[in-house]
Amino acid sequence: MKDTATESTTRPRNPVRGALASFDALTLTCAGVLALLTLAAVAGPLAGVGGDPTAIVGPRLAPPSAEYPLGTDSLGRSLLPRVIEGVGTTLVVSAVAVLCTAVISTAGGIVAGYHGGAVNGVVMRIGDVLYAFPAIILAILVASVVGPGRTAALVSIVLVTVPLMTRMVGAAARLVCVRDYVTAARISGVSAPRIMVRHVLTNVSGTVAVQTTYALSVAILVEGGLSFLGYGVQLPASSLGLLIQEGTVYMVKAPWALLAPSVILVLAIVAINVIGDSLRDRFEPRKARSL
Amino acid sequence: MRILTWLPGRLLGAAVVLVGASALIFAAVRFLPGDYAQIVLGPLASAQEREALRTEFGFDRTVGEQYLLWLGQAVTGNFGHSLASGQPVAGELAARLPVTALLTAMAVVWTVVIGVPLGILAGTRTGTTRSTAAGRLVSSLGVSVPDYVLAAVVVFALSSLPLGPSVGAVGAPAQDLGGTLLALLPPSLVLAVFTIAATARATRDAVLNVLVEPHVSAAVARGETRLFIITHHVLRNAAVPVLTLTGTITAMLLGGAVIVESVFDVSGLGSYLVQGLGRRDYPVIQTCVLLATTVFVLMSLIVDVVTGLLDPRVAVSGRSR
Repeated sequence: MKDTATESTTRPRNPVRGALASFDALTLTCAGVLALLTLAAVAGPLAGVGGDPTAIVGPRLAPPSAEYPLGTDSLGRSLLPRVIEGVGTTLVVSAVAVLCTAVISTAGGIVAGYHGGAVNGVVMRIGDVLYAFPAIILAILVASVVGPGRTAALVSIVLVTVPLMTRMVGAAARLVCVRDYVTAARISGVSAPRIMVRHVLTNVSGTVAVQTTYALSVAILVEGGLSFLGYGVQLPASSLGLLIQEGTVYMVKAPWALLAPSVILVLAIVAINVIGDSLRDRFEPRKARSL
Repeated sequence: MRILTWLPGRLLGAAVVLVGASALIFAAVRFLPGDYAQIVLGPLASAQEREALRTEFGFDRTVGEQYLLWLGQAVTGNFGHSLASGQPVAGELAARLPVTALLTAMAVVWTVVIGVPLGILAGTRTGTTRSTAAGRLVSSLGVSVPDYVLAAVVVFALSSLPLGPSVGAVGAPAQDLGGTLLALLPPSLVLAVFTIAATARATRDAVLNVLVEPHVSAAVARGETRLFIITHHVLRNAAVPVLTLTGTITAMLLGGAVIVESVFDVSGLGSYLVQGLGRRDYPVIQTCVLLATTVFVLMSLIVDVVTGLLDPRVAVSGRSR
């Protein structure tokens, strides 16, 4: 692995290569893993990899073989297409929820940071109320109100991730809003919405990127946890949490049914967290030194 | 006293959050689809019986009155009766509370004893690129492995060893403390994996932030020993964020380690909530969630006060804006 410091001094001509080279090998590997999972979730069902995920094709709880690369589940369905479908469900539910979170939190955080005072107080207090619920307990409460399913998973992820992200974006926006250029814009009569978009949003975009990444890993965790307890995505659909839950039931007889979805889930979360860490190092640099 | 300038504001904030959270919990259960009387009495009950129950539970009053009535009873320790068992929820909770408290205490001990030293080590020794990458991967792994995966794997591993029952029969610490502690060891370790990794990361960040401070450079220039600098300059200043995180972790676990308790069949608050959910036992759900949030808010308040006393800068910066 090349040292990142020397890399940045000798600028490559290709901007895409330059951007890639500024991240280290571990981060790039993690991005590759995520890209591969996404590709599998999109292309797998289209190409019909492993066959129909709902069709009962073979013996129950068969070990991995050439015919069933990940084995079969308790009903004799091939696990490979079910895992691929599960990855897709988990990624779609998490991504849609995190997109909602990013929009809500960025808007809320910037408005709160720009106005400060009472507006900030109200927004942060609402966040505090939601933050007082432990993640999985809030998700369970949501599931018991709206009923188990995709919607419950989506709403819970948004409610779990919004408070922290709003607080972070709000704090970053607050720091931007006291800068001279914002004051200058205000004095020269620029409208508040325009300042928020042109000056504040562009300057908190780093924090937004970092927090969105972390929110995505929390989303996958929560979706998995909720499905694991039986209140998330429902059968016959498939999600990683649901597959893990099914896997635990037969884990003594068929450990592969637990192993495959677990490994993929952990891989996805690790990859996202590593990317989040390295985005944070980039956007919120710290003058590290050793003792 | 300095504390008097910011404590009333914090208390008020905590009260606002508690009222908001309890209103949310009340509303969530109150506006569930379906007739409460029918859920309780079943479809065969007569109209008079339903009417009687509505009056008993105060459904003929306004929503505001109902909320205040519910909150008033909850504050005095009356959480109603479980729909499934007919027993008072307060009594069932009292039997489960010590188990969750013990489980939390054990997990917090592992977290502090293992997580903090690991973080200090990671923060004060900045190694080569390769070891940093390995460290990043391991610490990411620690916060990334979900408790449901880890719990399942540990139960599986324990069940394949000839150690007797790997799950079940965890409860009643008053009768058999040693047995309970032993039975709680695996679930507490499973819980601690996440909290250790999170604490180690936070400690490392806090230490790195202190190391760039001028007073550390001054200490190095004065020729103070490495150990002295770490214990006297770095740890004292890094304590605040670490303490905050530990408090948050304790509050989260006390509210019920829902998944781990369910998988290991620990009869604590978390498994009580899941059980209540499975039976649509609304008084139980309401009470467990209310308890979890209350514990969290009170714990945050305690952490705020303690950090404020430890480091006056926190209190001041929180106030003046």
